Amino acid sequence: MSDAEEQTGPPITLVEPIDVSKLDSEFRKTIRSMPNGEELMACFACSTCTAACPIANQWDYKPHQLIRMILLGMRDDVLSSKEIWECLTCFQCQERCPQKVRVTDIFFDCKNLAAEEGMIPDNIIGLARELAEKGQLYVVTADWEREDLGLEPEVPGLSANGIREILKTTRTNKIVGGES
Amino acid sequence: MKDAVLVIGAGVAGMTAAIELADSNIETVLIDRLPTAGGNALDLYKAFPTDDCFYCFEGSRSRPGIRKCFYRSALIDQPNLHLRTDTEVAEISGSPGSFTVKLTVGPRYVDSRKCILCGLCLELSNAFEQISPQCQPQAVIYRPDLLDDGAKKAESDCPTKAINLNAEPTEETVNITDIVLATGYHEMQPINVDEYSYGKHPNIITQLELAKILDPNGESGGALLRPSDGAQVKNMMMIQCVGSRDENYYAYCSKICCVFALKHAKIVSSERNGIGITVVYMDMRTYDRHERYYRETRDSGVRFLRGRLHLIDPREDGTLDVTVYDSLLNKYLRHNIDLLVLSSALEPPESNDGIIQLLDVQMRSGFIGPSDPFSENEVVAGDHLYVCGSATGPTEVPESVTQARAVVSKILQGRRS
Repeated sequence: MSDAEEQTGPPITLVEPIDVSKLDSEFRKTIRSMPNGEELMACFACSTCTAACPIANQWDYKPHQLIRMILLGMRDDVLSSKEIWECLTCFQCQERCPQKVRVTDIFFDCKNLAAEEGMIPDNIIGLARELAEKGQLYVVTADWEREDLGLEPEVPGLSANGIREILKTTRTNKIVGGES
Repeated sequence: MKDAVLVIGAGVAGMTAAIELADSNIETVLIDRLPTAGGNALDLYKAFPTDDCFYCFEGSRSRPGIRKCFYRSALIDQPNLHLRTDTEVAEISGSPGSFTVKLTVGPRYVDSRKCILCGLCLELSNAFEQISPQCQPQAVIYRPDLLDDGAKKAESDCPTKAINLNAEPTEETVNITDIVLATGYHEMQPINVDEYSYGKHPNIITQLELAKILDPNGESGGALLRPSDGAQVKNMMMIQCVGSRDENYYAYCSKICCVFALKHAKIVSSERNGIGITVVYMDMRTYDRHERYYRETRDSGVRFLRGRLHLIDPREDGTLDVTVYDSLLNKYLRHNIDLLVLSSALEPPESNDGIIQLLDVQMRSGFIGPSDPFSENEVVAGDHLYVCGSATGPTEVPESVTQARAVVSKILQGRRS
């Protein structure tokens, strides 16, 4: 009997909820104010974007969940997620969205915000370094395929110098540790 | 009164049917159990889909362009329309096309033809009340259970001698050709749905209760204050499908609560600035043109959360910690809120059972169904019996008006042959 009397509070539960008041309620306004983020609030969570995505089955956070997280204000989780960087930018989610939410563009916005805060995965920094140093991502090498096709060992007239100079004045240079 | 039509229920559907019948030169008796006409809509403040004040709905096609008060323009001035409030059906006899209906009227403590709404009795006693500035008839009402000395003084001091505290109920017998059932709906009081703690905490209310708080004619002048202590609400939450789509309560979808909730959420987010609002739903059912409402409401900053309630934990400061399972994120989210609004099921009024038995009409989930479920005549409940508005099941205002007009059309067709 005494046990029953002691239990006056709510039922005991193992759930550890996320405290919504600790989330960043301004985050959705930030994203909404960024390029192509205007329609963010129109999302009605149908998950068409996830249905369209060719790689979301690999993701812990699906595209519709990332949009939910933005709307809820889970800023840190979104910006530190691997998913925004793994997006193939195929734009299928954006094409199919019934509410015209520019999902892919919003992930670009997230990547830009993450980059501002220095949260860029190493492999992306590696790519940026390659680009900044060589002026191109995929350097053409003289190999048997070109030979078989009767092509010259090097691409005639290709010069990446101009691009390399331009990149020095952009944020790509900043990402790899240079001054911009 | 010759070849009269009886309309039972003076809500949106009943008033529309009665006014249009009267305008078509048909003697019409419009009755309601309550002391004022208007039904649930009287408490609505704004009504979708136009967000107009409810009172200003166009009342009658024969008064084109006049957007003045529905009530004043018809319920009083139309000579063919006989409004009886505080009135119930006691007995129906006769045969279809020639019913004899016995009505129990009153008691009429306040003579509405004499009352000038001077307010003297309201000052003298709490037993008098003016339900709404738009009440119809335009008169105060008296509640005998609150009888005090002030009420007796009001009776003798009333400048028009409109008050009679000893009034007795009277009976009236009318000959009727057709009966229109417009008995409306009732909002379920979700006291039995334990997880929502309704009735156990003052800051847990229903949508109709919220509508009254938001009404500028209400106690707080439209300010959204906590019922517990009158403090300003800063964060609130709504929960959809409370008692609807639930085999334990009402298996049907109450149909209008989604739009009802959207309307209130939009009023709160765009007219009561700075109040955070989250709507917890399992499906948003904004049928037809109301999808626009949903989109505008999202755009106005209302947060929508697909999931269900996990737990309500009241805090000592009057707020509630509400944990909700977000089924899209697969996460539990805890919100600290001041006000929890339940979108409770719309149920048939208790009195429906009696009338359904009395007239031997079809029952459909407690509401009144068409006599032939396969016909397209939703409004034909039997021979010379018609049904419209929420008496058929939950309906929105424009739908009630459309059905009422269908009834009027059917009655007029019946009279031509």
